[in-house]
Amino acid sequence: MVPLLIGISLISFFIMHLAPGDITTSEASFNPKASEESRQKLRELYSLDKPVIVQYGLWVKRMATLDFGTSFASHQRPVFWQTKDKDGNISLGMIQEALPITLLINVLSLILIIGVALPLGVISALKQNQLADRGITLFVFIGFAIPGFWLALMLMYWTGVQHAWLPISGLENMGHENMPWFSRTIDTLKHLVLPVFISGLTGLAGISLFVRNGMLEVLHQDYITTARSKGLNENRVIYGHALRNALLPLITIFGLSIPGLIGGSVIAESIFAIPGMGKLFYDAVLMRDFPVIMGILTIGSALTLIGNLLADVAYAWADPRVRRGVMQ
Amino acid sequence: MLSKQHQYGLKKFAFIAFISLLMPACGDSSSSNQANKQLDYTKTYPASSGGTLIDAMTGEPSGLIAMIAGESAASAIAGNIFNSLLKYDKNLDLTGELAQSWDVSTDQKTITFHLKPNLKWADNQPLTSDDVLFTWQKVTDEKTRTPYGSDFKLVTKAETPDANTFRVTYAAPYAPALDTWAGLHILPKHLLKDQDINTTAFARHPVGSHYYKLDSWKNGQYLKLTRNVNATQGQAKIDNLLSRIIPDKAAQFLELSADNIDSMSLNPIQYARIFPARPELNKKIALYRELGNSYTYLGFNLKRKPFDDIRVRQAINYAINKQEIIDGVLLGLGEPVASPYKPGTRWSNPTLKPYPYDPNKAKALLKEAGYEDHNGDGIVDKDGKPFSFEILTNQNKEREMTAVLIQRRLKDVGISANIRVLEWASFLGRFIKPKEFDVVVLGWSLSLDPDQYSIWHSSQQAPGQFNFISYNNPRVDKLLEAGRLELDPEKRMKIYHEFSKILLEDSPVVFLSAGYGLSAIHKRIKGISNPAPPAGIGYNTYEWNIPSAYARNEMSEH
Repeated sequence: MVPLLIGISLISFFIMHLAPGDITTSEASFNPKASEESRQKLRELYSLDKPVIVQYGLWVKRMATLDFGTSFASHQRPVFWQTKDKDGNISLGMIQEALPITLLINVLSLILIIGVALPLGVISALKQNQLADRGITLFVFIGFAIPGFWLALMLMYWTGVQHAWLPISGLENMGHENMPWFSRTIDTLKHLVLPVFISGLTGLAGISLFVRNGMLEVLHQDYITTARSKGLNENRVIYGHALRNALLPLITIFGLSIPGLIGGSVIAESIFAIPGMGKLFYDAVLMRDFPVIMGILTIGSALTLIGNLLADVAYAWADPRVRRGVMQ
Repeated sequence: MLSKQHQYGLKKFAFIAFISLLMPACGDSSSSNQANKQLDYTKTYPASSGGTLIDAMTGEPSGLIAMIAGESAASAIAGNIFNSLLKYDKNLDLTGELAQSWDVSTDQKTITFHLKPNLKWADNQPLTSDDVLFTWQKVTDEKTRTPYGSDFKLVTKAETPDANTFRVTYAAPYAPALDTWAGLHILPKHLLKDQDINTTAFARHPVGSHYYKLDSWKNGQYLKLTRNVNATQGQAKIDNLLSRIIPDKAAQFLELSADNIDSMSLNPIQYARIFPARPELNKKIALYRELGNSYTYLGFNLKRKPFDDIRVRQAINYAINKQEIIDGVLLGLGEPVASPYKPGTRWSNPTLKPYPYDPNKAKALLKEAGYEDHNGDGIVDKDGKPFSFEILTNQNKEREMTAVLIQRRLKDVGISANIRVLEWASFLGRFIKPKEFDVVVLGWSLSLDPDQYSIWHSSQQAPGQFNFISYNNPRVDKLLEAGRLELDPEKRMKIYHEFSKILLEDSPVVFLSAGYGLSAIHKRIKGISNPAPPAGIGYNTYEWNIPSAYARNEMSEH
């Protein structure tokens, strides 16, 4: 895993530096008051004038002590975790702040996806090619195809402007800190309803079709016929035998979705004004804020590798055939 | 069959019901706006103090020390917290801010600033000339990561004869100096002297001397400013300024419609199309427009043929319909410009008029320069080569649309132009720096100080410098040099009027348009000048006020 991680970091570092420009060439800096000499000086201060391979060396050296460095922009805020200066002022890490928000939204939307997609998939499979199946398929595909940003704006207008049921954007109302914990939770949840719904909607189609097809395949297996012929009741057959087997491949999907959990979505986060990982990464790329980009990529790829490992382990645990190597 | 259909319907219904149940269940308190909707905002009340103004911005400042942070979000917020020595008044003339007055020595090399008496920082410490000196030392320090140091490095000697006097000496008279002192926020020495200014926590916990001080800053969400009782410029009427960070313009607009924010800047479509179509919004929200701070131009690479020929440049200038660009791209919300100065201000030469749209004159000039359509393909040619080039611009909707309109007008006079749109960093790195372009559509700011040495002087052509079109005119060079040495506003004005005249004749760029800055502000905010003076509506924010009858229900906010 370690060599893989080094490979990933090497490739991402070089691809990033292949893109033209650096922190000194953002659009705001095209300002006649900012002279070329000053910008050159900034480049030197950030070691951006050195060859890429030297810069990579410097980065690896810092990473060896798990130091993610500080952002080029943002007043040198720490990229990953908080630091304390000599006067005891704590500056919070950028990822430290953005990650919990993104994680919360993604975990909630994953729960929403599973909670809705599982029943939909099972119903589709049981009513294969009947109206219910067609209807569900149509529904999930509309959900998949509908542009998220458009639906988000429509829902914001409907629930926020027309009816004032839900807050429109942001994470909390003003004065959030002064509320009792109960109102605080309600406040946060209200702000999360739309973002979670929007980010869950697109995932619905994939998972429910996946469940449907898995179920269909399992339902045609011999052991299902056996179960039915020995007179088991239909619910036992479907939920006890068929569904459990059909769910196995989902483990892989969830393993693969672990990096997605920290990824966040630029569009949803921008529209809902949520300071999450997607926005952080997008802004960092536009600003060519290399330490932040590398920090997010490194953590993301490490999590991907861990996700794969966990999926393999979970697979072995859930499926005796894998564990005992009797697949053939 | 019927029962199955029914079953499916139920499932789907259950799903939708689940979503819609969630909503009203959560939606009891969030808005106290319903009551406000019936208010009549046309009444006038005596100006009173209090209230909170909530605005929205698309980006978050990285810190509030403007010389380090650099981005516009930072200067917007920091401008409410820190003072400079000088400022621009409503007519864009320089006036004192921390300084009561300033004198220029007879050799024009020394400027002496006299600070107002008894200035204080928000933490009650005295603000003296020592703080000014300290700020100058920081901005010129090699270790300070600021791109704005070069103007201040021209100061050869800075001294503080007494606590209320600050004196700077330049090696040669430097006329833009006063403008640079109007842009430098003075920082408190007593809090920063032992700090590394690049990383100091002060950037997120600033102490200033202006109308407001920072109350709280929630990363990625909002910054809240509250009135500074020690403010050096008197007391502002509104108690709190809250800036919410909402990156998406459409979301900002929804928040404005729902009364959750009081002000936002608009794009031309929102201003000219959406607002007029919504009478209920116009009852509570007022629209303002002011001349913006930048103009769009078409710039020629003067090192490339045939753009070194003035007749070709003028022909293209005549061929472009500027009014069409203003109407089509800015929906009429802009003005043509004939010089790089804000129309209506001292530096703008009132006798200059943009080149009129005159395709016949354009064709005649092209013919004079040797371009004619010899082979009848609709494209003029010279020495067998058709006249065709590439218009380069960056990813900016307005510039892209401008380029398309220009392309069409050029085709009318027999010039074939292709458009290429690029991401900013590669645009700058691969095309502008190595000067690998024919023609660009770009923007420059309409600067408040008339000095534009770095843009037009022939010595400023090295890669990365701003005269990337390689403009070289000895007469312009002389005027630009003279303008830098003259501190008397009347004499300076003559120099820059002459400079603008030559620039227009020479046509190294085609001035296209200057768009208006458009903003929407809730009618509960009173005291805003309309129509906007040259400095824009923001010059007197300290006089804006919210009559208590119109204030939000603050209970829900605090």
